[in-house]
Amino acid sequence: MLEVNNINTFYGRIQALWDVCLKIEEGEIAALIGANGAGKSTLLNTISGVIHPTSGSITFLGQRIDGLPPHSIVELGISHIPEGRKLFTDMSVRENLEMGAYSSRVWKQKQETLEQVYQLFPVLKERAKQLARTLSGGEQQMVAMGRGLMSRPKLCIIDEPSNGLAPKLVTEVFEKIKSLREQGITILLIEQNVRHTLEIADHACVLENGRIALEGDCDELLKSDHIRKAYLGL
Amino acid sequence: MPESIVTILDVAIGGLLLGSIYALIAMGLSLQYGVARVLNIAHGEFIMIGAFCTLTLYTVVGINPLVCLAIVGPVIFVIGFLIQRTLFTKLRTSAPNQAAYEGSSMLATFGFMFIIQNIALIAWGADYQAYTYLNFGVNIGGAIFSANKLVILGFSIGIGVGFYTFLARTRMGKGIRSAAQDATTASLMGVNINHVLALCFGFGAAMAGMAGVLYSMRITLNPFMGLQYTVIAIIIIVLGGLGSIPGAFLGGLILGLIGEIVTKIDPSLSLAAHYFMFLPLILVRPKGIFGK
Repeated sequence: MLEVNNINTFYGRIQALWDVCLKIEEGEIAALIGANGAGKSTLLNTISGVIHPTSGSITFLGQRIDGLPPHSIVELGISHIPEGRKLFTDMSVRENLEMGAYSSRVWKQKQETLEQVYQLFPVLKERAKQLARTLSGGEQQMVAMGRGLMSRPKLCIIDEPSNGLAPKLVTEVFEKIKSLREQGITILLIEQNVRHTLEIADHACVLENGRIALEGDCDELLKSDHIRKAYLGL
Repeated sequence: MPESIVTILDVAIGGLLLGSIYALIAMGLSLQYGVARVLNIAHGEFIMIGAFCTLTLYTVVGINPLVCLAIVGPVIFVIGFLIQRTLFTKLRTSAPNQAAYEGSSMLATFGFMFIIQNIALIAWGADYQAYTYLNFGVNIGGAIFSANKLVILGFSIGIGVGFYTFLARTRMGKGIRSAAQDATTASLMGVNINHVLALCFGFGAAMAGMAGVLYSMRITLNPFMGLQYTVIAIIIIVLGGLGSIPGAFLGGLILGLIGEIVTKIDPSLSLAAHYFMFLPLILVRPKGIFGK
């Protein structure tokens, strides 16, 4: 579905990604794990068009997308739910969700999509008129995920959804992600919560210092010595 | 009606009139600076151009100044849109960071200010000019107001409220508001940022132009009249909270009322009063009335 081939990305003069390759199959939950500063968010921003790679290619459903601006990439069916939620804090919950449907491909169906999102996150319907900044952290994460779904994505990139949430809410977020896959949405999940992630994902890549250090099926990765030592603390 | 009440009513209408013009100008600059991040030093020049075009269209061609609104507004919008889409988009993509872009774009608008002033100088000359339109008295409860005052007040409030409704209700308006809060995230939602910034610059210039059309009924025009309005608009958007459209609207009305009251006491003090009331307010609320 998504193929990243030998991507090199720079921030100014500093190279952040080195020959990164990544392949995501339709219908799976793919995971990207790595320490802070390993280049995870840079890779996501490169996929969603916020920054452009200096070399390499990215194809989505057979079409080259590297070099396209973010709004065109959303239009093609990739939704990027950014790290730290990044809600429009001065807008109501409902307006935030509507912003997710800004693409012309989905704007007209936004009422229908909104009902589906409310079904998945009933609390958002109760909070619809509240300003986004008055919500709790867990609720804000629900808004961010709901907003990301409003563009009716084929591939949903979710960056650190459990960050800053209480353990109970973390479990809830992971449950929601599993239910998204059941609805046929392919998922690329980025997490520091490695154990949880490897348990729900099918396939994972480990990013270290801007390079892919390891990749494979999650069952195998869970047994790997490197993963157990460096990420699970065993 | 007693003399004192008439005076108060007169000052109130005059203040609201000036305030509503200020509000339009400040809303325009707020879009340009708050969203597009261009501190447009040539903002007042669009007011001047709007005013002079109206003068010519009315006195030479005979087009009603209120009809001029519908001509000058869209034309200036297109000019502003194209300036952002070409020049500022280029400056933005070539700038190493946001601060460098804000600096280079502000310098570019300085250049625009001189270019527009000199074009106006060639086209209309350096003399003060004016025309009269709807300059008859209307009696409201014993107090007499010039009809054009009431018309300007009505139209400028109408444009301000209309634009606010556009921002609050429409898809494009929501795109603009989201880009004002967080441009990168807005682009992840599918907002075409370059397009939205161009819209903001265009709308901002058009609001200044329309303020010029309306206010030209009451003032004398010359090619160098613009800068004072740029300064006032900067004061208002800082006062109202950077990037806040309601703040710009309210700040404009407040500054207009204060200006009119001070002018009644001593006309030479009005600009000083603007700065003077700005200082304590910014000390008490450094982020402006609506700032966060």
